[in-house]
Amino acid sequence: MSTASPLSRRSWLKGLAALVASGTFHDLRLAARAFAQEEASPRETGPLTVRVSRPFDAETPVGELNTFLTPTHRFFVRSHFGPPPSEHLADDRWRLHVGGLVERATGFSMADLRRFSPVSLTAVLQCSGNGRAHHRPRVPGVQWDRGAVGNAQWTGVRLREILETAGVKPEAQHVRFQGADRPVVDRVPLFTRSIPLAKAAHPDTILAYEMNGHPLPLLHGAPLRLITPGWMAESCIKWLTDIVVQDGEADGYYMQQAYRTPVRPVQPSDQLDGVPTTTVDRMVVKSLITRPAEGESLARGPVTIQGVAWSGEAKVVAIEVSFDEGVTWEPARFVGEGHPYAWRQWQYVWNPKQTGSRSILCRATDERGETQPARSPWNPGGFLWNGWDRVTVTVAGT
Amino acid sequence: MNQAQSGTAGVLLISVLLLGSMTTGAQEADRDSVAIALAPRAEGLIIARCSVCHSPDLISQQRLPQARWHAVVEKMIHWGAQLSKDEADVLTRYLSARYHPAAPDRLPPVASDIGNAEPLLNEQATIGPLVGVANRGQDLFARNCQACHGTEANGGMGPKLAKNPILKHEDLFWDTVLHGRGPMPAWDSILTQQEIADLYAWLLTR
Repeated sequence: MSTASPLSRRSWLKGLAALVASGTFHDLRLAARAFAQEEASPRETGPLTVRVSRPFDAETPVGELNTFLTPTHRFFVRSHFGPPPSEHLADDRWRLHVGGLVERATGFSMADLRRFSPVSLTAVLQCSGNGRAHHRPRVPGVQWDRGAVGNAQWTGVRLREILETAGVKPEAQHVRFQGADRPVVDRVPLFTRSIPLAKAAHPDTILAYEMNGHPLPLLHGAPLRLITPGWMAESCIKWLTDIVVQDGEADGYYMQQAYRTPVRPVQPSDQLDGVPTTTVDRMVVKSLITRPAEGESLARGPVTIQGVAWSGEAKVVAIEVSFDEGVTWEPARFVGEGHPYAWRQWQYVWNPKQTGSRSILCRATDERGETQPARSPWNPGGFLWNGWDRVTVTVAGT
Repeated sequence: MNQAQSGTAGVLLISVLLLGSMTTGAQEADRDSVAIALAPRAEGLIIARCSVCHSPDLISQQRLPQARWHAVVEKMIHWGAQLSKDEADVLTRYLSARYHPAAPDRLPPVASDIGNAEPLLNEQATIGPLVGVANRGQDLFARNCQACHGTEANGGMGPKLAKNPILKHEDLFWDTVLHGRGPMPAWDSILTQQEIADLYAWLLTR
């Protein structure tokens, strides 16, 4: 709507940036003041690049993904309906209900959950639509570029211990999760997802109440969020209130229609009705170039190219760079140790011989032998983009 | 409205006549004129009907062919977007003309602005003082205000309105709704006087 909207994009941005920075909506007065100001503030310089003002969807500028842990205030934000009113999440009111195919339907307060042994792990979270803007033909949905991904430390309680407390019945196959967020219009389906029992009972699947060592912020799912390490973030239900053990996958739009990809390659022109689809779950192998920045001018001389690489439940085992559009590839080296589910930083010292405009490409390979393709297969939801990452820079002459 | 409608009709007539023999440049010019002609109504619909659930930036970042826009609008109606068939047609035509696959990432503003948006519900001068009807206000609130002010007016991104002190000052309430305040847009081109009175009546019961 650009300038046609009575709501100035900039005032929204400023206000939302204030909300993100404060981590919660508590300081509404500050946010309202920021909303009201009409100050020039290019969107690229905020902590996040805003894709949708409401419900708030924003991605991390890729240069900020250069650290092992992504700072919480720069971590991408995605939800379908925005956070629930914070009073619904207050300690005296909030409960986690566990029911369905269990011996004992059980309610837990946050104090109850904190009595279980805390577990910490570092895991990449990534929106399934990250990179959707690169699919051609274009696909409807939030036009994420490269930054709907981050790496954070999550602390909480093992989901399997919660399930054991309630006692899972033998016929159970899947576990369904519901958060406290609600659509504005009640005909819009609830955001409900399920995961197979095997993933739910995995010792690394946790219900997190801390992110990077601090209480989970409202925008990231306070007070409790499911973390399914190695899987796409739509499984990581925020503002969690209900866990239902059942014999089948969850019904509903967000499980049976959205977040699915065709099981065989399709063309955009194909009639897609009747093509079997499968739910998006684990992440695919992927890497990013975090330094230098897109469009940067480089002085002559060695340049350290830096980035990150990850692959769902598998280890990344190789990272390569190319300066000739993928004809030849040079191995780059990993920095630091590998941790399951976390991304791995990498670097490559480049001594460019030619000046002018140069494209740097990177691709990663994981232990299953999967390598990033030049372009990901087109799919109608625009999910799972993992084409070679690309940064174009200008190398100065003498 | 009549002027815009006849303008639209003219543009459509021309575009129909030109179909089949168009170059890309002509296609572009045609799309532009359709977008300009439909913008006042369509932009008003986007603010009033789409923005209940999401901000317009979600729309303006899409670049889709007409068939996909049609499917998107149908999906939104299925999910409760309050659009008549005529309004859905206007919206789909506008979106397809402005946000088509070949449109640049950064679009210049459409050659009209929202100040010219036409009232969606034209109501001529009412006779006598307005009496709000609380029952109607509840529904109006859900469709227009709830996205920011929360269910049951209990607050959300915008302030809680239930028992809000501004309700004691009806003139200030009207002023805010008609002209906006801070992040809140002006609703004078979207809500009728009767609807604002209905909203006020319902909020007093909260």
